[in-house]
Amino acid sequence: MILKSIKVSNWRSLLDEVELGPFSEGLNVIHAPNGTGKSSLFEAMRRGLFDAHHVGGGEISAVQPWGRDLTPSVTIEFTEGDDTWRVEKSFLSGKSAKLARLEGSSFKPVADGRNADERIREILAAEAPGRGLSKQEHWGLAQILWAPQGELHLGQISGNASESLKAALGVQVSGDSGSQIEDRIAERYLEFFTQKGGYKTGKSAAPIVTYQERKDALAGQLVGLREKHLSFEESGHNVEDARQRRLQARREADALRETVSETRSKAETYAKLKAEQSNKRDTESLTKEKYDNLTARQKQILETRKLITQLTESLKDKSSKLGELKKEEARAKESLSKKRTARETARAKRKSVTERQKLIETAREFLNQSESLEALDKCITQIAELKGQQSKAKDRLSSILAPTPEVIRDLRKWINKHEQARASLKASQVHLEITPENAIEVTNATNQSKTRIDSGKTVEFSGDDWVDLTVAGFGSIRASGPEGSSDEHRAMLNKAKKEIEKLAQPFGTDDPEKLQLLRDQVDKINREITARDERIDDLLDGDNWDSLKNEQTELKARISEIKKYYPDWSNQPPVLSKLQSDYEAFNQSVEDEITTAEDEFDQAQSKHSASDKAVTDAEAEVKLVQGRVDGATLQLEQLSEDGLNDEARKKAIEEALMTWQAAKTAADKAEAALKQFPDDPSKELSKLEKQLAALEDSEVRARDEEKTAEGLLQSLAAEGTYSKLVTLEEELAALEASIEQESIRMDAIKLLHETVSTCKSRMVASVSAPVERSATRMLSRIVGPRLGQLKLTGAFVPEAISPEIASSPVAIQNLSGGEQEQLYLVARLALAEVLAKHQRQLVVLDDVLNATDAGRLARLLTLLEEVSDRLQIVILTCHPERYRALDSAEFFELK
Amino acid sequence: MIRFIHTADWQMGMKASGLGTASEAVRNARLESLRKLVELANERDAQLLLVTGDVFEDNAVDRLLVRKVGEFLAKFKGQVFVTPGNHDPLAPGSVWDHPVWEEASNLTVIRENTPVELENCTIFPCPLKEKYSTKNPTSWIKAQDCSKIAIGMGHGNVEGLPDVEPDFPIPQNAAENAGLDYLGIGHWHSYSPYKDSSGAIRMAYSGTHETTKFGERESGNALLVEISERAAAPLVELLPTGKLKWHAIERSLESPGALKPILNELRAIESPESALVRLRLKGLLFSVDRQDLESLNEILDSRFLFGALQADSLTPAPEDDSWIEELPAGALREAAETIRQQAMHGADESDRAVATRALLELFDSKEKAAS
Repeated sequence: MILKSIKVSNWRSLLDEVELGPFSEGLNVIHAPNGTGKSSLFEAMRRGLFDAHHVGGGEISAVQPWGRDLTPSVTIEFTEGDDTWRVEKSFLSGKSAKLARLEGSSFKPVADGRNADERIREILAAEAPGRGLSKQEHWGLAQILWAPQGELHLGQISGNASESLKAALGVQVSGDSGSQIEDRIAERYLEFFTQKGGYKTGKSAAPIVTYQERKDALAGQLVGLREKHLSFEESGHNVEDARQRRLQARREADALRETVSETRSKAETYAKLKAEQSNKRDTESLTKEKYDNLTARQKQILETRKLITQLTESLKDKSSKLGELKKEEARAKESLSKKRTARETARAKRKSVTERQKLIETAREFLNQSESLEALDKCITQIAELKGQQSKAKDRLSSILAPTPEVIRDLRKWINKHEQARASLKASQVHLEITPENAIEVTNATNQSKTRIDSGKTVEFSGDDWVDLTVAGFGSIRASGPEGSSDEHRAMLNKAKKEIEKLAQPFGTDDPEKLQLLRDQVDKINREITARDERIDDLLDGDNWDSLKNEQTELKARISEIKKYYPDWSNQPPVLSKLQSDYEAFNQSVEDEITTAEDEFDQAQSKHSASDKAVTDAEAEVKLVQGRVDGATLQLEQLSEDGLNDEARKKAIEEALMTWQAAKTAADKAEAALKQFPDDPSKELSKLEKQLAALEDSEVRARDEEKTAEGLLQSLAAEGTYSKLVTLEEELAALEASIEQESIRMDAIKLLHETVSTCKSRMVASVSAPVERSATRMLSRIVGPRLGQLKLTGAFVPEAISPEIASSPVAIQNLSGGEQEQLYLVARLALAEVLAKHQRQLVVLDDVLNATDAGRLARLLTLLEEVSDRLQIVILTCHPERYRALDSAEFFELK
Repeated sequence: MIRFIHTADWQMGMKASGLGTASEAVRNARLESLRKLVELANERDAQLLLVTGDVFEDNAVDRLLVRKVGEFLAKFKGQVFVTPGNHDPLAPGSVWDHPVWEEASNLTVIRENTPVELENCTIFPCPLKEKYSTKNPTSWIKAQDCSKIAIGMGHGNVEGLPDVEPDFPIPQNAAENAGLDYLGIGHWHSYSPYKDSSGAIRMAYSGTHETTKFGERESGNALLVEISERAAAPLVELLPTGKLKWHAIERSLESPGALKPILNELRAIESPESALVRLRLKGLLFSVDRQDLESLNEILDSRFLFGALQADSLTPAPEDDSWIEELPAGALREAAETIRQQAMHGADESDRAVATRALLELFDSKEKAAS
C-alpha cells in the first residue's frame, strides 16, 4: 500500500479539517509540536482503514473532540497493486463508509456501508475484530509496517501476516488450509494434553486419566474383594478342618470313657480299704500314746526328784561365793576413789601452765608495742623538724617579691623595643658635635637652653628636623637633615619606657638580670618546699599527722598499763626466749604428772568394774539356781497330781502296753489288704478323667470353631463374592482395554502434534534466516558488531541477540532503551523489505527513535534513505530538525 | 428304556471378560438357555435331566442366581440329578447348601458315591468334593452286575486330551470298564463323544449349553440320550440350546477397497442383537479405505450385542502416496511422511500402531478442518 493523501476532521484535537498530501513515495516527515494531532492523524488513518464505520463503544467515542457532538471523519487515498482507492469514513452519529476507485481521472464508488468496510479489509488483507475496535493483530501487514507511538516493539505477528511473510520469502510452511489443519491438530492436542505435554486433569481431564483413576480405584476394591473371596474358600477349609477335629475328639472320648469307668470302680474299693486302715492306725496311735504318756510321767517324776537334790547343793555353794565377791568389790571401790582425787589434783596444775603461756603473750605484746612506739616517736620527730623547716621556707618566700617568668620575658621584650626605638630615634635626628678650641657658650634655639663647652670638649646637639645653635661670638649655626619619622620612634620609645616602668615598678628595678636572680631564688625555695612535702608524705605513709599522734598516745597508754602489772619490765624488759623455755619445762612436768594419775585411775576403775561384774554375775547365778529349784519342785507337784504311788503307776503302764499291741496287729492286717493294689487307682482315675475332659473340651471347641467358621462361611457365601469379583474384574478388564486403546490414541495425537511442530519449526527456522541476516546487517551498521546476530522466533518476532562474547543468547530486555528501539526498528524494516518484494509498502513511524543518540540517528537516517527506494516511509515527529538530514524527504507541517 | 437329557458346564455366573457392557447380557443369556433347555427336555419327554458338574462357575456366586437355577430346574417334569463339578465342588459353604435344592421334590443333588436306584435305571454318580484331584472320580463304579440300565455321571479330564494336566483323570474306556451303558461327563465345553469297541457312544462330554467364549466349537447344545435296554447302544441327539452366536473374524487387507466385503459380511450376520463379533484386521491400510474403516467401527459399535475391532496391526500401504499428497504442501506433508515411515518401520508393534493411528488422526483433522 502507498499512501497518497489523508484528510481528517473532528478527530480529537483536529477540530478543523486537516489535509495532508500528496505524499512522496519515498520519505515523508509530518511534523508538529506536541498536542497538535500527529498521532490523531495516524489513528484516524488506522480507524478509517481497519475499523467498521458503525463500531460503537467508549473507545471510538473518545475520538470525538471534547465537549462537541461532531462526527469524526477521515478520507484516505492510497494505492494497492495497480488500483488507487479513496476511503471516506465517518464514525458515531454521522457514521458512513464509502469506497471509491480511481477510474480514468475520477473516483467511482465501489462499495459503501458495511460492504465498504469489508472490501477495504480484503484489499489490505486485514481481519475483522470480534468486538470493538481493531487491534494490531487485525491490521494485516500493517502490524509489521506501522509503529504507533510508544509501540515500536514487535510482540507478535498474527497468522495471516506471518504467512504473508513466509509466502514472500518463497517458502510454504503450511498454507491457509494447512494452518487450519494445524490449528485443528493443536486444538485436538490441547483437548487432552497440557502445554507442558502432560495429560489434563480435573474437569477437562483426558479420558485416559479418568479411566486410570477408575482403574486404580477398582484395583483397590479388587484387592479387598479377592481377600474376601479367599476368606470364603479358607472358611470352607476351616469348617472342614473343625469338623474333622470334632469327630476325631468324639471318637477318642468314646474310647476313653470305658477305661475311666473301670478305674473309677477300683478307686472306690481302694478308698474304702484305705479308710479302714486309717481308722485302725488311729486306734493304734491312741493306745500307744497312752502307754507312752504313762511311761514318760513315771520317768519324769524320778528325774525331777534327782534334779531338785542337785540344785539345792549348787545354790548353797553359789551363795557363799557371792559374799566373798561383795567384799572384794568394796575394796576396789575405795581404791578408785583415791585415784580419782589424785587425777583431779594433777589436772588442776594445767591452770598454772595457761598463766605462764599468757605471760609470754603479754611479754611479746609489750616488746612489740615498745618497738612500735620507738619507731613512731622517731617518725613524729622527723615530721616535726620538716614542718619547722617548711614554715621557715614559706616565711622566706613570702618576704621575696619576685616577678613571674612572663613579666621578666615582657620586660626584656620592652627593653629591647626601647633600645631599638632609641637607636631609631637617634638615627632619624640631626646631630651636631662641637669641639671648640676655646670655651664657648652655646644657646640652643630649640629650647633656649645654654650650654658651656670647654675647650677641647665635644658636645653633641641633636634635633628632630634641625639643630639651631647660637654660639656667642661666633654666631648661629643651623644644621638640618632629612624630614623623617622621629615622632613615631619617639612614641615607641615612650611607650616602651612606660611599659618598662609599669612592669618593673613592683620590683624596684628594671634590670632583668636582677629580676631573674629573684625569680630563681623563689623557684629554688618552692622546690625545697615541694621536696619536704613529699618527704613528710612518705613519713606519714598514707596517715595524717593527727592519727600518728593518736597512735603514739594509745601505744604509750598500753605500755603503761602492762608496766602496772609487771613493774620490773620498766627497768629490765622481759626476755621472750627465757620465758618460753621455762614455760615448756613446766608444761612437760605437769602433763607427765596428769598422765600418770590418769593411768592409775583407769586401772583402778577397771579393777572395780570387774569386781562389780563378778558380784552381779554371782547374784544372777544364785537367782537362777533358786528359780530352777522352785520350777522343779512345782513340776514334781504337778506330776504327782494323779494321786498314784509308784507301784500303782507301774501296773497301769503294763495294761496300756497290752492294749497298744492289740491295736497294732489289727492295723497291720488292714495294710496288708491295701498292698494288693500296686498304686492308688484314684491317681490314674484323675488322669483319665482329665484326658476325657480334655477330649470333650476339644470336641466342644471344635464344634464351636466349626459353628463359627460355618457362620462366617454362610455370611460370605450369602455375599456372593465371586459374582461381585466377576463384575469388578470385567469392569477392570474393560477399563484396561479402554486404557490400551486410549493410550494408543493419546500417543498418536501426541506424536502427530509433536511431529508437525518439529517439521514446522524446522521449516520456519529456514524461512526466518534471511530476515535475521538482513536485520543483523542493519543493526550492525547502526550499533556496530557488538550485539552480534539478531534472532527471530518462528513467527518473525525478535527474540534475542547472540553477541560473540556471550556463550548463550541474550534477551532483548537486557539491552538499553535506545538499543531496543533501534533493534525493533531494523527488525520492522527488514520484514518490510521482505513484504515490499513485489510492491512498495507504506511504513509509518510515529514518534520513534526518541532514545537514540545523534550518532546512531545519523546512521539510521542513512538506512532510511536507502530503504526508501523500496518503501514509502512516513515519519511523524515533533523534532523535525532531527530529520532535516533526509535530503530526499518531503516535510509536512501540521498546523 | 430310558430317555434323558445329559448336560453340563453351565458355568452360571461366569466371568465374561473383554466384553464390556455385554458381559451381564452374556451371563443372563446362560439362564435363558437353561430355560430353553428345560422346555426342550419337557417337549422331548425326557425322564431324567442329568447335570454332570459345573452348574456354577464358583461356589461363591450370588445366591439369587442359585435360587433362579434351582427354580428353573424345578420346572422340569422328570427328575433332575446334579453332581457337583470341580468349579462348584461339594464342600462346606458350597452352592449346594442352598435351601432351593431341598424345596423341589424333583431335584436331587448327589452328595455321595452311592448308586441311585430308579425304576428303569441305576445311576452311578461321582460328585466332586474338591477342586483338584489326581484320582479318577469314576473308579468306584462297579456296574457290571447291575441288572438295570446303568448310567454314570462324572466330571473330569478324559485321558489323552492334548495339553491337559491329570486333574480328575477319566480313562477313555471308563464306561466299558465300569460296566456302564452310558457315562455322561462334564468339564470340557465342546460336545465330544467317546465310542466303545463296537462303535457305540458310551461316554460323552455334552458341552456347555451356551457358548462361553470366542472360538469355542461344538458348544451351545444339550444331549438327548435314549437307551432301550441294558447293554444297548445309546442314541445320542444334540439339542441346540444356545442363544448367543460368537463370530471371531480375521481378515488380512491387501488392496484398496478390501474393507467393503467385510462390511457386507458384518451386515449379513443374523440376529445381531444376539451376536458377539470380534473382527481382527491386519495388512495394509489404504487412504481410500479410511471411511470404510470408520464404518466398520460404527457397525461394530452399534449393531451387535458386542462388537470389537482390532486394527492395530494395520499399517499404511507404502505404495499409497495419497497418504501424503492429499495434504497441503509444507510441514504437514513432511510430518505425514515422517509418521508413515514410523508406521511402516517402527521398532515394535506398539510404535507402528501409534504411528498408523496418528496418520488417521491427521486425516481426521484435515477433514474436520475442511468441514
